[in-house]
Amino acid sequence: MQGMETVLRIEDLRKDYAGGWRKPSRPALSGLHLEVPRGSITGLLGPNGAGKTTTLKCIMGLIRPQAGRIWLFGEEATDARSRRRMGFLPEQPYFDFYLTPRKLLSYYGRLAGMDPSRIRTKTSYVLSLVGMGDEADLAMDKFSKGMLQRIGLAQALLSDPEFLVLDEPSSGLDPLGKIQVRDLLNSLRDGGITILLSSHQLSEIEEVCDGVAIIHKGGNVASGSLDDMLRSREEYEIDLEEPTSAAWDELPGSASWADAAHMRVVVSKKSLNEALKALMGSGASIAEVRQRRMTLEEYFLEKIGREGWEVGE
Amino acid sequence: MNAVAAFAWSVVQDSLHRKVFYAILAFTFILILLVPLLPSADIGVQIDLLREASLGLTSIMAFVLAVILGSTIIPREREKRTLYNTLSKPVSRWQYYLGKFTGIVVVVAGALLMTYVVILLFVLIKFGVFNPGMAKALFTILLEAMVLVSVAMLASVFYSPLVCVMLTALFYVVGHVKGDFLYRAMTDSANDPATRAISGVAYYVLPNLERLNINETIAHSERMFSVGATELLLLIGLAAAFTAILLFVGGYLFSRRDL
Repeated sequence: MQGMETVLRIEDLRKDYAGGWRKPSRPALSGLHLEVPRGSITGLLGPNGAGKTTTLKCIMGLIRPQAGRIWLFGEEATDARSRRRMGFLPEQPYFDFYLTPRKLLSYYGRLAGMDPSRIRTKTSYVLSLVGMGDEADLAMDKFSKGMLQRIGLAQALLSDPEFLVLDEPSSGLDPLGKIQVRDLLNSLRDGGITILLSSHQLSEIEEVCDGVAIIHKGGNVASGSLDDMLRSREEYEIDLEEPTSAAWDELPGSASWADAAHMRVVVSKKSLNEALKALMGSGASIAEVRQRRMTLEEYFLEKIGREGWEVGE
Repeated sequence: MNAVAAFAWSVVQDSLHRKVFYAILAFTFILILLVPLLPSADIGVQIDLLREASLGLTSIMAFVLAVILGSTIIPREREKRTLYNTLSKPVSRWQYYLGKFTGIVVVVAGALLMTYVVILLFVLIKFGVFNPGMAKALFTILLEAMVLVSVAMLASVFYSPLVCVMLTALFYVVGHVKGDFLYRAMTDSANDPATRAISGVAYYVLPNLERLNINETIAHSERMFSVGATELLLLIGLAAAFTAILLFVGGYLFSRRDL
């Protein structure tokens, strides 16, 4: 990702929350760094209390960090103008229920400085985009959590943002809704929109993100392209043309079957040659040898540790 | 300005969807219509009594509306987290704060206008007297409501609605008794120095809300005193100055508050 234009850059962000009367303050962010390249989807990952939502609130100007700097589109974010090219979906968005989605978006459009005709056009468009076109003129008091989440996405997309900040966008959605959101995010990225996505759902991050920043206890743990991160371990996978167990006794000790069908062997880099010789010596036919790609969950557990992770899925 | 207007309009819409707004209005109208049933309503003073009692009820209505709306709007939006959606748009917190204040004042002004029409029609129908001069009293009630809204909103930046209501009510009471009670407490040499100092600070810092109360004068058709343009301008200046100071402090604190 180096060399790409950066839409968001965060340097040494620090934030403590007051602990109340005669109680120590609680650090939420302790020197966080983050970069989001233009045209990418970057996932912000971390266990509960890692500082994800605090980071997003700092970016959106909802809370004031004690220290650190935030740059948006190359300029330091100091006032409301820096949010002109942005859209934000807060976690579990909530609205005034007496409004209809159309009236709500009209209100947000006015706040975003859009002219009335553009608000009308865009409202219909974004509501259709999130699958709420038929409910545009219904009061929201009977809407489900998933429907409110879609309205939240619609308001984030209303003013044609170049940069979207989404906090748990799939929260409360049914499986079909999650697939629709994933497809929507991919199409937005293909349309040149940059997205910062905070999520508990590792599968969602793994499916849509180009890069990931993992944070824990308010600090950076790892960041970079997802492909680089997940291929970083010193292990290889050997795919076989057909199942075999003939060579098992001759395989090195580090080898293990990755599947129940005995079609894939996982082996350390050091023992790769020895494993290949053993397999070929036993007559097994090798289809492919590649660096092993971990799952994001494996990578995450390796970095954070099981005790620090409360799986949201 | 567009964002301020949008915020103000959202308050008006929100208020029109609150049952408590209609309940307060209806209660006030019913009480006004019941004033002639008061036992002290002797012939000859009935019209003055009706006007004075109606204006008194209107003052209470404006106080209740100002305090309820001013104390609840920010805490409610913070609790419901609708603030996150609105303040993530390219608007400043100052615009939000001023917009909400403007919206509340518009709602109170609308309620006062309706009450004015009710009193006007009631006096006209019952006594055959058309008395548009009462508008001056309702205008000063609105001025006082503006000060109260700015106090309630300032408190609501930090405190829960219940605390805001209590603080604003305390401000209202002290603001109305300061000309008499606080002045005596400050100047009476029999009081200890601390009491005199605290009374003195409160006397000079708090506005004299009783100055904005011209109900009695208007109810008696300005027979004793007349409320002219100069007097009204003075009252506008007084209310505007305190409102501006309180709005500035509240807006500044709100702009620095974590949400």
